[in-house]
Amino acid sequence: MKRLKTEILVIGGGATGTGIAWDAALRGFRVVLVEKRDLTHGTTGRYHGLLHSGGRYPVKDPDSARECIIENRILRRTHAHCIEDTSGFFVVTPEDADSDYPDRFKAACDEVGIPCREISVAEALRREPLLNPRINRVFEVPDGAADSFLATHATAQAARAAGAQVLTYHEVVDLIVQGGEGDQQVVGAKVLDVASGEDVEVHADLTITAAGAWAGQIAAMAGCEVKMTPGKGAMIAMNHRVCNTVLNRCKMPGDGDIIVPIHTVAVIGTTDEHVDDPENLRIEPWEVQLMLDEGEKMIPGISQARVVRAWAGVRPLYQETEAADTRDVTRSFTLLDHQERDGVAGFLTMTGGKWTTFRMMAAKAVDVACEKLGVQRSCKTASTPVPGVDQGHYWLGHRLHEVEEKRLQGELVCECELVTRAMLENAARQNPTLTLDDLRRDVRLGMGPCQGGFCTYRAVGILHEMAEGGDWRLENGERRMENGGWRVESNLHPPFSNPNLLLRDFLQERWKGLTPILWGRQLKQERLDELIYLSLMNVDHLPGAELSSPLSDFYLFDTTPGEETEASDA
Amino acid sequence: MLDLLVIGAGLAGLTAAYTAAKAGLRVCVIAKGMGTTHWSAGTVDVLGYYPNSSAEPVQRPLENVQTLIEAQPEHPYALLGTAQLSDALKAFAVLTGEISLPYAGAANGGENLLLPSPAGAPRPTFLAPLTQRAGDLSHPDPFLIVGFRGLGDFFPELIAANLCELGYDARAAFLPIDLITDRQDFNTVQLATELENRGRRSRLAAELKRLVQPGERIGLPAILGLDDHLAVLADLQAQVSASVFEIPTLPPSVPGIRLHKALCRRLEELGVRVEAGMEVVGFRSGGQARARFGSPQQVEGFVQSPIPNPKSEIRNPKSLLWVASETTARPLKHHAANFLLATGGILGGGFDSDYTGRVWETIFDLPLTTPQKRSEWFRPKFLDPAGHPVYRGGVRVNKQFQPVKADGAPVYENLWAAGGCLAQADPIHERSLEGIAITTSVAAAQQIVGSGWARGGRGSGSLR
Repeated sequence: MKRLKTEILVIGGGATGTGIAWDAALRGFRVVLVEKRDLTHGTTGRYHGLLHSGGRYPVKDPDSARECIIENRILRRTHAHCIEDTSGFFVVTPEDADSDYPDRFKAACDEVGIPCREISVAEALRREPLLNPRINRVFEVPDGAADSFLATHATAQAARAAGAQVLTYHEVVDLIVQGGEGDQQVVGAKVLDVASGEDVEVHADLTITAAGAWAGQIAAMAGCEVKMTPGKGAMIAMNHRVCNTVLNRCKMPGDGDIIVPIHTVAVIGTTDEHVDDPENLRIEPWEVQLMLDEGEKMIPGISQARVVRAWAGVRPLYQETEAADTRDVTRSFTLLDHQERDGVAGFLTMTGGKWTTFRMMAAKAVDVACEKLGVQRSCKTASTPVPGVDQGHYWLGHRLHEVEEKRLQGELVCECELVTRAMLENAARQNPTLTLDDLRRDVRLGMGPCQGGFCTYRAVGILHEMAEGGDWRLENGERRMENGGWRVESNLHPPFSNPNLLLRDFLQERWKGLTPILWGRQLKQERLDELIYLSLMNVDHLPGAELSSPLSDFYLFDTTPGEETEASDA
Repeated sequence: MLDLLVIGAGLAGLTAAYTAAKAGLRVCVIAKGMGTTHWSAGTVDVLGYYPNSSAEPVQRPLENVQTLIEAQPEHPYALLGTAQLSDALKAFAVLTGEISLPYAGAANGGENLLLPSPAGAPRPTFLAPLTQRAGDLSHPDPFLIVGFRGLGDFFPELIAANLCELGYDARAAFLPIDLITDRQDFNTVQLATELENRGRRSRLAAELKRLVQPGERIGLPAILGLDDHLAVLADLQAQVSASVFEIPTLPPSVPGIRLHKALCRRLEELGVRVEAGMEVVGFRSGGQARARFGSPQQVEGFVQSPIPNPKSEIRNPKSLLWVASETTARPLKHHAANFLLATGGILGGGFDSDYTGRVWETIFDLPLTTPQKRSEWFRPKFLDPAGHPVYRGGVRVNKQFQPVKADGAPVYENLWAAGGCLAQADPIHERSLEGIAITTSVAAAQQIVGSGWARGGRGSGSLR
């Protein structure tokens, strides 16, 4: 068994956990972060990508709105390259015309300090020609689009540079609790290294959970009850950027009322359904239908456009008292000090909140950590940019510009997302990789219209070529490939590095997000992918069919459309 | 006045046009695009796995087809029977000889060939072009798989590794891509054209000769020439003194393009025009003109228009008078005595669907067997051996290959269907894609030739 000793143990590799590791390392603490899968595998990697201006909450949840606008300004400096400065509109559609909400919204924005300007419908239509011409009023706010994969990786890189250890595929199996009734203390965690199967004990002076919707499960290991209210939000990505500005309905937040242009797609979000299990990512046909129908109100015709993918994230909503509807649970965050609350020392839970406020949540958590550890060190993250900010804000032509400037057309592995061979190889060398899905989060492999149709094979071929000892030698007059050549290199762990397993896992992973929205041209595209992988490649008859990775079962989660049902509360 | 208008220029459409033209019919092919031949491996798969869940490939497809017909009496192959199926495949092999693209099966007649796939799996196929034949895995000769540094669509080490894992003797090697091309941005089709240049070919041959060891056969990506590929192959083999074969690549597929081009050339020789870029936008049966089903814009003059010329009115509403296609200037009417639908299924574009679960045939809105509920379309596993039900649906036809209504009566007396649009098969999962395309189109064309609706038959005189 491996033992690690540290000052602060962070559980969870989403935006918040990574932010805590970054903040604590900058303040000079020794930090270990453990994440049971890949960074951003949870909710951080499954949201629509909005950098909130706060405009969604000033009326109902002004505290949360205030946090958003403060952090919006900070992240534009610290994580500039992860953010596209799209701006945002709040539009009053004919359905909402009779409401007094727009005036209350404007007043509340002014009150909270969110820059909000009413612009003419003509100007809005000039900037967004596909916008419903029947809208009545438009307000502009400083919304943006955020690449939460890139931002979390950049934050982790900054944390590592400051001395933190970030361990992915390290799953907490138990907390180590010392002392008797009323005098208990968490002194670390027992962790399973999923890739190697090795047990690891991490001993820490303080353990901070940032496990999002899974926080209740971790707290229960120390006998503390943290009642999460996981709220599932489903989203769909359209094949094109139907808009270049974030579009919100100017009404109380509801289902399907936002369209976020991000990278090459536009995401319609979201629904909000209470789920018992945060791993339940099923998307029901009514959810897809609802988002298309609602999207239609802002962009008429959007439901006829091609949908490339659907996914669901689970909001880590937390409230000490029961709320009737998950939409009514505050979007602000909560830090639970289990010493005060449950008599368990050395243990904090940071939960709630949203991507936009991750840095503030980290700062609050580490402030309390300082108190607990009896030191005074101030937060530095607000003024410390992460690596990569020198590129400036993201813009849509960013990758294309680079490909054209450096003449990389022949190097493309994924034409949809303009991923080059060098990008893929670097990501595979730098980040622990169990599946191609991990590389997808790093470089956007397979996220475009063909959903892995061409790049899955290429990525597997490249990873296989990177294999160490991939030599064929002549021995006793026989040419045989050395065993080593069978595996894929570097940060890939045998036996998961079998190329055929990587291939099958990724095809299944892409299928999982396709089945809820597969019809029309996307169905035709998927049939081409079948032609390639079955008829041409015959991948269902490759050797190694019995192999599976720790994620194979996760990708097998059944997402095929169920019988038509209505929303549970409709 | 045409005897037959074929809609669709995939393997089914072109084969049907050839069969009918050879029988003396006046034929024309119109299509929206090129068909799916450009994406395929360029082989003729008849039946690769049966039953679907079988891990072992089918050895003798014609025998297994017999079992399949008994188990699935609605399968397209059941419309033919094995004797007619075998004849149709033989006729196709003869055709490929005529077009200098000779296809052949295993030396042991009637057996499937096993050829290395671009992932290194054995692909069961019934007929393969000459350029792929030497890859047959039933021969014991060791493989040297050669790729090119910079060609991102072909991975020799992956192929060799999988072949080794399966017990074949294989190794991989790389050559620099600048042996073949000076371009920075290229695809397999451009590389194939480059290798028609003798100088390029000799440089490649010299390098291959340096790499190859006695007894080895050389597997290359399928880039050995386009129109001139037989000469390219012969020349390479002579210079290298080893047998050389092609492994198909990711689309665009050079072997598929060769087949498409050669078939089109042969059709031209027979006086058959093959017109791509002519998407059908409307049709007329009996007294009424109709826009193509599901077309977003209403085509001017087609929807509920009065009969343009009372003299040409056909009293029988159960027959088609013409279909109209889009061209650069204006919709063009194609009058014909017979119409063959060979537009494929979901992949070919013959069917479309939407989020309500509706699946429809895009021109005539023919009745489909496809489940009209999304909850019945898919299985949870992408690679489920049973395939996905949505792809098994299609146009139901009678023994004469006429699309039929629920009551079994033909939808139109002079409309026929063949290929990927036919119901009750999943050609990609069965590995029967080209087999179904070829054999059903030959059979449908023969039905048309033999019907009273062919040249000089009923309904031909008054259509102008």
